[in-house]
Amino acid sequence: MLAFGERVRLWDQALTTVRAHLRARGLAEVTTDLRREEVALEPWIEPVASGTAWLVTSPELALKLLVMRGAGPIFQLAHVWRAGERGLWHRPEFRLVEWYRPGAAITALQDDVESLMAALIEALSPWAPTRVAPPRWRSEAWLDLFAATTGVALDGDESPEVLAAAVRGTAISSWPPPPAGDDEMRGLWSWSALFSAWSDACLDPWLAERAAAGEAVHLVEFPPALAALSRCDRDGAGRGVARRFESHAFGRELCNGYDELRDAAEQRRRFAAVAAMREAAGQPAIGLPEGFLAALRDPGLPECVGAALGLERLVACAVGAARLDEVSLEP
Amino acid sequence: MASLDVSELKKNAKIEIDGHPFVVVDFQFVKPGKGQGLYKCKIKNMLTGAVIDRTWRSGEKFEPANVETKKMQYLYNSGDAFTFMDNLSYEQVEMQADLVGDDKWFLLDNLEVEVLFYNNRPVGVALPSHVIMEVVESEPGVKGDTATNVTKQAKVQTGYAVAVPLFIKVGERIKIDTRTGDYIERVNS
Repeated sequence: MLAFGERVRLWDQALTTVRAHLRARGLAEVTTDLRREEVALEPWIEPVASGTAWLVTSPELALKLLVMRGAGPIFQLAHVWRAGERGLWHRPEFRLVEWYRPGAAITALQDDVESLMAALIEALSPWAPTRVAPPRWRSEAWLDLFAATTGVALDGDESPEVLAAAVRGTAISSWPPPPAGDDEMRGLWSWSALFSAWSDACLDPWLAERAAAGEAVHLVEFPPALAALSRCDRDGAGRGVARRFESHAFGRELCNGYDELRDAAEQRRRFAAVAAMREAAGQPAIGLPEGFLAALRDPGLPECVGAALGLERLVACAVGAARLDEVSLEP
Repeated sequence: MASLDVSELKKNAKIEIDGHPFVVVDFQFVKPGKGQGLYKCKIKNMLTGAVIDRTWRSGEKFEPANVETKKMQYLYNSGDAFTFMDNLSYEQVEMQADLVGDDKWFLLDNLEVEVLFYNNRPVGVALPSHVIMEVVESEPGVKGDTATNVTKQAKVQTGYAVAVPLFIKVGERIKIDTRTGDYIERVNS
């Protein structure tokens, strides 16, 4: 483990490098409030209350509001909070690098991730105990990888009952059945439970193998129920897919990118499904972000893509650390 | 007792599963960013000592185990029950011999131990890591045999039989590891 003084210099270099790199790629640094009246509702992400407001789980809503006002390509290095997340690769407070590119293709975000990772590995090499090689990147479609790792072919639009029957007898056969409720909520419940179980039993081991072979993966084209805040359309085979990706390198999930959803009614349905899921699970209610939804309707969000990347994980991976606290300045 | 959210689990937490108290001995949190968190734990049955793997999903609840430990002094046993006294209140409790198990071999009169209570009933003893006992019975060492790894059987006050080096004599005091039951060293008085 690096001495504390070395970790101080490592972080100074990391922050300098990330800022310089994103600026050089045409993004302007902004800063937005992190304690807000409204928070995005996402399954399994628990915001921390701060008085009558929230500490943000990501600066997504704030940055989209700036994009709506014509900010152009922007990024923020934001502190974010997610209750209850503590482990070797989780801290309840961490830093997200989040950026938006109006008018760009989602692959532009993947280029950003790849080049940022390479730049950071290079800049932080003096602090890496052994040389870290930048990974070779490849893309895998969610449904294809699911089929390859489980032997179960899905179309991405299965009902909770069909889904449960399809994976019966596999390594991911057991998760709690969805509670009674509308189809949107039950679909979200089942698909996110499936994703969680698959991640643990199949995806993580597969990613670890890829990492050992020097490869990193953009997982692309998610099932529509897992769209979160991304846009849905159809893939070449006519299957419904969500235009989002997750970047995994060195066996770690580092980044989530979306072709951003612009349909306010659709966005409301998705937030409401998360709210219904929270209610069914007995979790405290979180109001829908009405101000954000109103702005999404008018003036509306220009076509844009956006990504959020966990900075601590990126830094840890760039120097070959085995856990976050090998590079962190605080316990 | 109120149930706790699994996010409150941590190492050394004492929880109840199927009517048994368990202590969390190892703990790992994993979570796909957009998925459900998993709490992968190794937990030890506080009654049997058995360690098992158990995974909880975020959002699940668990029951805290109503367990406490008290510093107590071992007084005596009647064969099928062992009596301990609370050092502070002088209150005495009896524990069934089968719950004391093999720990009985190391219970010297007046030994200070930690007694584990589950639902206010004594269910187990935590011994000090070693105890000092007197050899009450042993064959004399064979003269001239100086090999260091040769041992003989010796019996201590509680009737416990332990392998000791040949130089140990009746009336001498020896240190015994309570976890392995092995001889550690001779204690010079």
